[in-house]
Amino acid sequence: MITFESVTKRYPDGTVAVDELSLEIPAGQIMVLVGPSGSGKTTSLRMINRLVDPTSGRILLDGQNIQDSDPAALRRGIGYVIQQGGLFPHRTVEDNIATVPVLIGWPKSKARGRARELMDLVGLDSQMRRRYPHQLSGGQQQRVGVARALAADPPVLLMDEPFSAVDPIVRASLQDELLRLQADLHKTVVFVTHDIEEAIKLGDQVAIFRPHGKLAQVDSPQQLLAAPVDSYVEDFVGFDRGIRRLSFLAADTLDLDAQPIAGQDSTAAQALQQARRSGDAWLLVTDAQRRPRGWVAAADLESLPGDTKLADVRLTTGHGHTFRVDSDSLRAALDATVLSVTGQAVGVDADGRVVGVTSYDRLRDAIQRAEGVPAAEGVPAP
Amino acid sequence: MSWAFDNASMLAHLTGQNAYLALVPVLIGLVIALPLGIASARWGWLYPPVLSITSVLYALPALALFVALIAYTGLTNTTVIIPLTVYALAVLFPSVVDGLRSVPEPVRQAAVAMGFGAWRRLATVELPIATPIVIAGLRVAAVSSISLVSVGQLIGIGGLGYLFIDGEQRDFTTEIVVGIVLIIVLSLIVDLVLVLARWLLTPWQHKTRAERRAAATSGAGREQLVEGL
Repeated sequence: MITFESVTKRYPDGTVAVDELSLEIPAGQIMVLVGPSGSGKTTSLRMINRLVDPTSGRILLDGQNIQDSDPAALRRGIGYVIQQGGLFPHRTVEDNIATVPVLIGWPKSKARGRARELMDLVGLDSQMRRRYPHQLSGGQQQRVGVARALAADPPVLLMDEPFSAVDPIVRASLQDELLRLQADLHKTVVFVTHDIEEAIKLGDQVAIFRPHGKLAQVDSPQQLLAAPVDSYVEDFVGFDRGIRRLSFLAADTLDLDAQPIAGQDSTAAQALQQARRSGDAWLLVTDAQRRPRGWVAAADLESLPGDTKLADVRLTTGHGHTFRVDSDSLRAALDATVLSVTGQAVGVDADGRVVGVTSYDRLRDAIQRAEGVPAAEGVPAP
Repeated sequence: MSWAFDNASMLAHLTGQNAYLALVPVLIGLVIALPLGIASARWGWLYPPVLSITSVLYALPALALFVALIAYTGLTNTTVIIPLTVYALAVLFPSVVDGLRSVPEPVRQAAVAMGFGAWRRLATVELPIATPIVIAGLRVAAVSSISLVSVGQLIGIGGLGYLFIDGEQRDFTTEIVVGIVLIIVLSLIVDLVLVLARWLLTPWQHKTRAERRAAATSGAGREQLVEGL
């Protein structure tokens, strides 16, 4: 656990970078520090490994005041990843990764063995171990940076905008990778970013900073989106926070509609009757394994001979994006619904079999249920 | 040409002397430039005054220095070595500072943040990264030092410079030409050794085959390469 106790950093010219910061960073979790530039988030991070010393206040690492420790020894126990990688250009990938183990006195062969383990862990091909950093892509360099920070298995990892210099697709995969690693490693991670999306995706807790080093709010991402403390936080988390909150609501709270679904062995006449009974304009056709094939418009069925099997009917449109009922969020369900031509999206189980379909009404009900709002009168019963 | 063969042992001796008189100052210059450069890179305020001093020394005429030194060191090698050391230092000092300043700030910070002590960081991170620029300085210093040695002949200690004075006095052009050729050859050999040293010391700067190909392929050629893929 890392504890900031009324920590202030004031520079000789009078600039206050961090102002009376008190913050608890729980062990084994990701704490994201987010804020505009000049809000003191990087300074706060750099005070943890004493790259910057506070003007007043204390920082405790597992109860010990870090000011009492030898800076070099302290730093060897704290992994550090920065935006530009900061890799040693004159050392190979494996020697970069082995840096801290060698510093703390491991024999070189053992340190290199550890480096290879870590390359595997962060998803780098072991054939790259003899390459130099300039021979790698930006994303690969960041992976080396993460591996290097983890090499001596430090309990604490400091990450200063580590993914902001790579393109959005690589960034997303690095973020996923970090979450995957963290699920196994349970490090105490302090992560600085100016990107609120990244903060919300990665953080167990998110600390939002105001300009000049004042803390605005510390909360879980859900809570930040649901209950920003003031207009500054509300503006910072963004105008579509309502939509983004849905990321934290599970799709299994949706009451899906199983009515407008017909197996491909049904005939056109049966399907038409089914659609008329339920009043649905569209029917989802499924295959023998109950996997979605596509939508057929009820109106199209009327012109067909009644004994035509649905398997032989030309589908009006594909089934579009599906979402996993057991693991996706309401946001994914909403997104798939918005993108669907029929205004309905297909929810599937882990094997890709259809569970049911959405509608805007059903989405609204699920959201209101999640917020504890009683369903309005007059909403059609599911 | 036959003159050169007839006098091979004298020429070898003069060449050896020239190399010695030229390279010892470069070595001493480097030994002085390193701590001075390291200090100036660390404490930036040191750099301008030290640079002014070395530049002013560089501007002093070699002959004036030789003459002034004779009073103290007499007609010895030292009288030639001291001025040449000053010139080598003037070239090498800014190279060391530039080399150390070429270490990217994120790299330096990463080294600090990983728990390198100041000396270890200097020895294993900063100096290796500075090496190419320091060697570039060494090449300039070594070659100019080799040709400057001849000036020492005016006080009788000048390596291959002997051939110029002697050739001039005897009105014997061959001797002068041989002297010039030997100085050029000596410079080329020393330069080659330094280039080789850089290649050995900086393996990270070697281009891979693919990189060389990419550098050689440009414009239309590169488009073809992409289409080929």
